[in-house]
Amino acid sequence: MSQETTITYSKVNEDIIKMLDKPTVKWWALFVFDLAVLGIGLLCFLYQVYTGLGVAGYSHPVFWAVYITNFVFWVGIAHSGTLISAILFLFRAKFRMSIYRIAEAMTVFAVLTAGLFPIIHLGRPWNFYWLIPYPNQRELWVNFRSPLIWDVFAVSTYLTISSVFFFVGMIPDIAAIRDRVKEVPRKIIYTILSLGWKGSNWEWMHYTRAYLYLAAFATPLVISVHSVVSWDFAMANTPGWHTTIFAPYFVAGAIFSGLAMVITLVVPIRRIFHLEKYITISNFEAMAKMIILTSLIVSYAYGVEFFMAWYSGNPYEWEQFKYRATGDYAFFYWLMVFCNSLVPILLWFKKIRTNIKALFIISLFINIGMWFERFNIIVISLSHEFMPSTWNLYKVSLVELGITAGSFAWFFMFFLLFIKTLPAVSIAELKEILPAPVKEAKTK
Amino acid sequence: MQENKRGGIKRRDFLKIIGVVGTTAAVTGGCSSEPVEQIIPYVIPPEDIVPGIPKWYASTCLECPAGCGIVVKNREGRAIKIEGNPKNPVNSGSLCARGQAALQGLYNPDRIRSPLVKDSSGRFKPLDWDSAEKTLLEKLQSLRERGKGDRIVFISGNVSGTLERLIKEWLGAIGGGRHVVYETFAYEPLKQGNKIAFGMDKIPTYHVEKARFVLSFGADFLETWLSPVEYAKKFSLMHSYREKSMGKFVQIEPRLSLTGANADEWIAIKPGTEAFLALGIAHVIASEGWHSSGISKEEEDMLVALLSRFSPDRVSSITDVPSSTIKRLAEEFVKLGPSIAIGVGAANTSTIATQTVVAINILNYLVGNTKEIVNFGESLTISKASSFKDIVSLVDSMSKGEVELLFVHNTNPVFTLPEALGFKEALKNVPFVVSFSSFMDETTELASLILPDCTTLEKWGDYVPREGIYGLIQPAMEPVPLFNTKPIGDVILSLSKQLSGLEGLFPQQSFFEYLRDSWKAIHAEVAPNKDFETFWSESLQNGGVFREVASPEVRLSRDILRVDFSEPSFNGDGSLYLMVYPSSRYYDGRGANKPWLQELPDPITTGVWDSWVELHPDTAQKLGVKEGDFLLVESPYGKVEVQAFLYKGIRPDTVAIPIGLGHESYGRYAEKIGVNPIKVLPVAYDDLSGGLAWLSTRVKISKTGRWARFVKTQQTTSQAGRGIAQAVGLEEIRRGLVKREEHHEPDMYKPHDHKHRWGMSIDLSKCVGCGACVTACYAENNVAFVGKEQVARGRHMSWIRIERFFEEESGFEARFIPMLCQHCDNAPCEPVCPVYATYHNYEGLNVMVYNRCVGTRYCSNNCTYKVRRFNWFTYKWPEPLNWQLNPDVTVRTKGVMEKCTFCSQRIIYAKDRAKDEGRFPRDGEITPACAQTCPTKAIVFGDLKDPESEVSRLSKDERGYHVLEEINTKPSITYLKKVKWDRV
Repeated sequence: MSQETTITYSKVNEDIIKMLDKPTVKWWALFVFDLAVLGIGLLCFLYQVYTGLGVAGYSHPVFWAVYITNFVFWVGIAHSGTLISAILFLFRAKFRMSIYRIAEAMTVFAVLTAGLFPIIHLGRPWNFYWLIPYPNQRELWVNFRSPLIWDVFAVSTYLTISSVFFFVGMIPDIAAIRDRVKEVPRKIIYTILSLGWKGSNWEWMHYTRAYLYLAAFATPLVISVHSVVSWDFAMANTPGWHTTIFAPYFVAGAIFSGLAMVITLVVPIRRIFHLEKYITISNFEAMAKMIILTSLIVSYAYGVEFFMAWYSGNPYEWEQFKYRATGDYAFFYWLMVFCNSLVPILLWFKKIRTNIKALFIISLFINIGMWFERFNIIVISLSHEFMPSTWNLYKVSLVELGITAGSFAWFFMFFLLFIKTLPAVSIAELKEILPAPVKEAKTK
Repeated sequence: MQENKRGGIKRRDFLKIIGVVGTTAAVTGGCSSEPVEQIIPYVIPPEDIVPGIPKWYASTCLECPAGCGIVVKNREGRAIKIEGNPKNPVNSGSLCARGQAALQGLYNPDRIRSPLVKDSSGRFKPLDWDSAEKTLLEKLQSLRERGKGDRIVFISGNVSGTLERLIKEWLGAIGGGRHVVYETFAYEPLKQGNKIAFGMDKIPTYHVEKARFVLSFGADFLETWLSPVEYAKKFSLMHSYREKSMGKFVQIEPRLSLTGANADEWIAIKPGTEAFLALGIAHVIASEGWHSSGISKEEEDMLVALLSRFSPDRVSSITDVPSSTIKRLAEEFVKLGPSIAIGVGAANTSTIATQTVVAINILNYLVGNTKEIVNFGESLTISKASSFKDIVSLVDSMSKGEVELLFVHNTNPVFTLPEALGFKEALKNVPFVVSFSSFMDETTELASLILPDCTTLEKWGDYVPREGIYGLIQPAMEPVPLFNTKPIGDVILSLSKQLSGLEGLFPQQSFFEYLRDSWKAIHAEVAPNKDFETFWSESLQNGGVFREVASPEVRLSRDILRVDFSEPSFNGDGSLYLMVYPSSRYYDGRGANKPWLQELPDPITTGVWDSWVELHPDTAQKLGVKEGDFLLVESPYGKVEVQAFLYKGIRPDTVAIPIGLGHESYGRYAEKIGVNPIKVLPVAYDDLSGGLAWLSTRVKISKTGRWARFVKTQQTTSQAGRGIAQAVGLEEIRRGLVKREEHHEPDMYKPHDHKHRWGMSIDLSKCVGCGACVTACYAENNVAFVGKEQVARGRHMSWIRIERFFEEESGFEARFIPMLCQHCDNAPCEPVCPVYATYHNYEGLNVMVYNRCVGTRYCSNNCTYKVRRFNWFTYKWPEPLNWQLNPDVTVRTKGVMEKCTFCSQRIIYAKDRAKDEGRFPRDGEITPACAQTCPTKAIVFGDLKDPESEVSRLSKDERGYHVLEEINTKPSITYLKKVKWDRV
């Protein structure tokens, strides 16, 4: 983890803040394309609200499909960001410094994207606020026993904490931008956002303490939020869902897919903004090693699930797993196994895990594999439950694809805006690992 | 699908006291995009109508010739539900799916809206009644003047009763025209077979309930044969398990029908050879000396002489039934008595069907039960229907131009007759055709003048299905104002009053008066000591007059010796026998315009909204056919293209196609759907009776290369070993080896503490899988029909469904189980709803709050039984189908979940009424729609906490079990295991 001694503090400021320069034509082209896709997604959603959920591909009894897959997918991705920015902070892992801001942004935007889906998949989405426990004249409360309400609490807590953590972490950097920027509207905005940061010792002391506490708050959420989301399934009696392994399995899977998404995002940003000096191969290698670990956990979970389904003697569970591996959706099951268990094996080889291109491609495979993991869990389980007379197949519809594409566009819209308005790499923290602009300072 | 709209406020005619229609529709669900509808109270309320209190009118169902008695529920001037009339001995309070769906005929959006006349360009123009009648009068006048009054033919379905009399008198007075009674299934072989054997040219009533062994030669008595609801009840009395015993039922047919699926044994006989099997069995009985002592020596000699040629070995080679089976059946027929043999269904009518009936009669006579069980006194009036041969001669007359005026009423010969007969072409030679049909069916399309009749629910009349049953028909509501219709009886009277010379023929002003006068004769016979008005009111309240008719003694006639028992003949050079069979949903096609019937899954295939051809998997394999492949079925007379369905319940040398679809017109729900297999049939006769030989063709089938998914509601046929529809062997239960299994799982929470707990018991040894409960539920609970495309995604909305499984061993032994919301005590759906839209109420019901549901659908994911249905769209009931909606039940919009509520509205209604009397409803006072209509009374509802209730007793029965009991949902529905005769 060595940095070149030729990077000075001011160079850091310059390089990072240069990212916030006027957007190029390429950025605009990407942004407009993104908005177009978002528009398609929005139209699909409006069509769905107007006509009815029937335009989605649901068949009885597969009542949850692509939308909930997307929900779990995005919530899962979010966890990795918090892992990198909060947990690794507490562990003082230096390799996180240059990438954690992007990861943290990914978290916030992923949660925002995930939060769309519980509304999108409702039969009567205009009443979505009934899931929030607000005092009302009719004295109606939500059903606190329902895992979906736990979701509401978990995800909103996660959004709150992540956003606060994200914002607080950026205050010194925003101050740095404020000091550099001269044009009036931008200067005013950054001035407001920096909350009057002067960089004094007193401020730094309290800031680092606050940051530490926020990191401590955020840490348990990495485990708890996705455990709660996994209980959407584990608390149901559906064969294939009703198993205690879900909480650790999902958390590991979340981190797994989040790390892959971080790589997917960081590689192009690094390339486009020439951040090679800051985000080095060793950062990627560290993430690749974490990916190997989580891939092993997830693969182990696949094996344990299968084993327990047989060992338990529960005919419904065993039948479900046989169906997953050999039934109508077997292709998606084996695709998932290939992408999540087999492809990451390549990362054992140093040559591959230090090759940026290879890492990028592998991360895409992992994302696909993890998306299909959720899809399999949801759709295959529901297709093949207790009552054989209700076994039926699900077929995705164009509306669902449109809305999924729209959700990806929503996420990337935030990301595109983020890169151009906020510092994508943490200036303040980077400086911690660089030699201070002091005479005779030695590298740490 | 589109917006749901209840009927808006109709133009109110304050001058008419009755017949004002109002709706009590209010806006449902706050923010939905429904138009706001105003409710306006009655300023002058009509007499007789108390808003919220239903009135029930007794009448008779005419959806098929069985003529079951019905009571029609009328709310605020609209008929909304039909149920069986408990006082009518034909159906005893039950009603089949077709009867329930009659409401969709009444409110069908494609009903003819006014009289129509065909103009020179061939299109129909509407006109008012006076002009329409004048047009017809001109023709009648002209015929009378030319002395050609006898060139009038009136062809109708079985209209026995006052209307028949009126038609006959009227035709006679005009000039001697003919009344041809044409029923698609007229059972001519039955009549003729009885005439030959007993000298009785009649179709009797078979008191199957008095038998302990039923041998049916292809009679589909649970579907369409003679009087299906009546026979279902009788069958249930005979066959359902009771006190350690049950009757035995053996079905003999080449294709296992629904009726056969309920049999204890299926004999897959070679098509058309049933007569030989019956004679073979009779031979064994006679030669073993097992016959009844009531037979005279003369009769015995006659029979021995006749039967000598039909040794089991000879019969075996003709019929494909092993000799050992023949001998065993003979033994059972005698030892398990009293026994009865019945036959022949329409689908099995070969060229020797009459011989089959004669053979069956011989068999019954041999064991001496003819007097006890076969009642010729209660003969069906369809016995007097014209035979197919008569229709053929009519067609001949028409082609020769001998018919100048044809009236068509309640029949659709262009659809139900084989094309080869040429009825359609012959019709072109009739200068003037008048149809009284309510619907633009194929025959009516060819009419010159249409005088649309009211449906049965809107007019006066009567119907005599069989001797002793005089069913009255009274209007359950004023004719639906959207349709400018006039009852046929009134039209005839009005016409005769305007015909010169006939003015004085009928003194009555209306058909109502004529009916009353006609009933004065019945009054004189039945209750001469009562005054007529009292008699009339009572009859109307009861739905008619019902009397038992004694069974006359019959003796075997020597005519049987002149019967030629030769093998049946088949035409066509294909290799597969074609069976076309009447559908339990469409009958002969008349039910196809009712979406409830289209969406009611076929009991065997669970197919909806389309036709299919059934073939054995071996046959399919030889041709490389899989389910859904479009096959070309060709006979020398026509061809149809239809999807394949693989079925083990059919002989490998036979294929079967249901009758009823393939309409070219008949409204939006029937047009261009399915195929009409009658097209490919020849004009072939059952030799001795002149009836149409439905089973007389061999066809060729070939793949067309097209494939489409065959739309069914159930994709699997196997229970996957999960014990959903369970059965026990008869021996096992006789020996007391069957114990009620109790599962006691530890509970985390305290059990619910109910003072009353509503529950059900469903006896699988009684359920025959007919689906009447499904349609009744649709009618009662405003359940939407969704169409074929949505059913392909499993999105049909049925709250109760009949699950059909085939046993792994044979692949055709069927088990039926009605599955509905189990109202679990430990309901998995309740804890997971985030907004409390579903919860457990204080009487044990799992209730659904539509207004609160946001549609997360978690409840359905967690439902073990998958009985919850989601509203994917706001489904529409095109006007005036929405008039049928039950005002006591919310109509759901898109985005909410729904499911069976145990007919909460009925529970509340009964509790309210009982509360007025200071008590709780008694056992039997509350019956959900499904339980009410079930012809075999398989479903019993009541309070599980009441130790005296029927359901309480049944829930403790040794045969009782809960579906998927080990999941510990604690359902409130106890299923009673089916009992099976042990294999021989």
